[in-house]
Amino acid sequence: MSGRPGWVTRRLVYGLPGWMTAMAYLFLLAPIVILVAFSFNEARSTVVFTGFTLDWYREVFADRNIARALRVSLIVAAASAGLATLIGALAAVAITRRRFPGRTLLATGLAAPLVLPEIVLGVGLLVFMSFSGIRLGYGSMIVGHVLVTIPFATLIIRAAAASLDPRIEDAAADLGADEWQTFTRVTLPQLAPAIFAAFLLSATLSFDNLVMSTFTSGVGTTTLPLRIYSMLKLGITPEINALGALMVVANIGIVLIVMGRYLPLMLNKPRPVEPERKN
Amino acid sequence: MRRSTRDAAVTSVMLAPAVLILVVFVVMPLCVVAAYSFAQRDAYGGVVPGFTLENYSQLFSGLYWQVFVNSFQLAAWTTILCLLIGYPVAYFIAFRAGRWGPALLVLMLVPFWINFLIRISAWVVLLGRNGLINGGLTAAGLTEAPVGLLGTLGATLVGMVYAFLPLCVFPIYAALQPLDRRLIEAGADLGAGPAETFLRVTLPLSLPGVLAAALFVFVPSMGVFAIPVLLGGGKDIILGNLIVQLFLEFRNIPLGAAVSVAMLGFAALGVVLYMRALSRIEAMR
Repeated sequence: MSGRPGWVTRRLVYGLPGWMTAMAYLFLLAPIVILVAFSFNEARSTVVFTGFTLDWYREVFADRNIARALRVSLIVAAASAGLATLIGALAAVAITRRRFPGRTLLATGLAAPLVLPEIVLGVGLLVFMSFSGIRLGYGSMIVGHVLVTIPFATLIIRAAAASLDPRIEDAAADLGADEWQTFTRVTLPQLAPAIFAAFLLSATLSFDNLVMSTFTSGVGTTTLPLRIYSMLKLGITPEINALGALMVVANIGIVLIVMGRYLPLMLNKPRPVEPERKN
Repeated sequence: MRRSTRDAAVTSVMLAPAVLILVVFVVMPLCVVAAYSFAQRDAYGGVVPGFTLENYSQLFSGLYWQVFVNSFQLAAWTTILCLLIGYPVAYFIAFRAGRWGPALLVLMLVPFWINFLIRISAWVVLLGRNGLINGGLTAAGLTEAPVGLLGTLGATLVGMVYAFLPLCVFPIYAALQPLDRRLIEAGADLGAGPAETFLRVTLPLSLPGVLAAALFVFVPSMGVFAIPVLLGGGKDIILGNLIVQLFLEFRNIPLGAAVSVAMLGFAALGVVLYMRALSRIEAMR
């Protein structure tokens, strides 16, 4: 760089991150706002707002295929999130609390679906099911969704289990509680918030999943995202805007429930005292 | 002794489901896929066991090779754009946003929580012939008639950046946030200008986060299939589209398996490169 940049240039460079951030948030959030706004538009057009209507919402609620797909999605999300949370919680507690051969291997294995391309996992299940002659349907889809969500469930619960103070459990043991009592009355209640968060996150991820569902769904198990995908391939209609707006509201609602509970806790948590750095 | 056997039994019960699901539904299926990639197909879309390298040699022939090139280019551009936009955003949230930081982070999560297809459909609406962007261009007098924005590589790229940007901001933020502000001040105290301080102190220290962000964006973006179809009009297909077509439309399972193995190879390569770069950065400190 030659010489000292002028005041204007410096000002511009200093302001750059701020401007970029504003533009990035506009880029990320504006399409969603526009989508919701146009779901109330009377005309089919997506440029001119001609008048307010709830017709598209009526159409969504009257659409049998959407209702069926929603039911499939809810069943798969509840079942796979329940399984992923249960399996993940058991493994997470064992990994943080118990010593056994292959501990790191298992921990890595459970996080592996994060790095393995989901599409390859989906292909694997599809091929495996046809190889072993199992029909595609709820079973294959739930297994697939467990694979996709279990890394998140395990990581959340592991983080919580690792931050527990083992002295509390020792105290319970000293006071005469047996292992099972210690687990159910001391460890589990402390982990409950993390288990709840893991379940909700898994359910949301499953509900939104497209890739795994593409390969594992069978006849009659079309999920909502699969349904939306085929509707979008046929062409965009205001009905999709309305459905999208409903999903936006539902998703934000869930997030607010979770955040409302945990965000204040996270923000008010006293920061750990940093050890003095030696230079 | 009795206590330790009981302990071991409890541990195995706790681990059994996780191990079972990983072995039966991840390891075994991937082995089957790998085996199928060396097999041949019969006329009805079935698989004839055997050993041939034909599927892999097909991957290097014209059409399929083009898909690899497309995927690589699209993934590279997506990663570059995400980093160029994501870094300043992460920097702003970490250093300048002050008490607005947490709120900005939560806002960054919002698109993450909204169905991916719904977000893409918003772009279909915006970029469409009757869409808002075309309306704006015409109203501004920049174009006379609506421009075909959908069905272009540009539209695909916009959708990809839109989908992956939040994934890119978080690792960079996580690397910037805990940086010792005193190091940055020290740079300034030693006479470095803001640009020099950034290039010689802040940027090198945040490189692990940048690498993680690149890994999170580059590898998954090759496996996406919905965005090139919905926004790109299915013209420039990438690995994700190829896998979907070969398995679900053309029923050429052996060739599809070979593409999947290649995809897995890319993912592994990405992780290895990431680890190496990370250890090199750490060695430099």
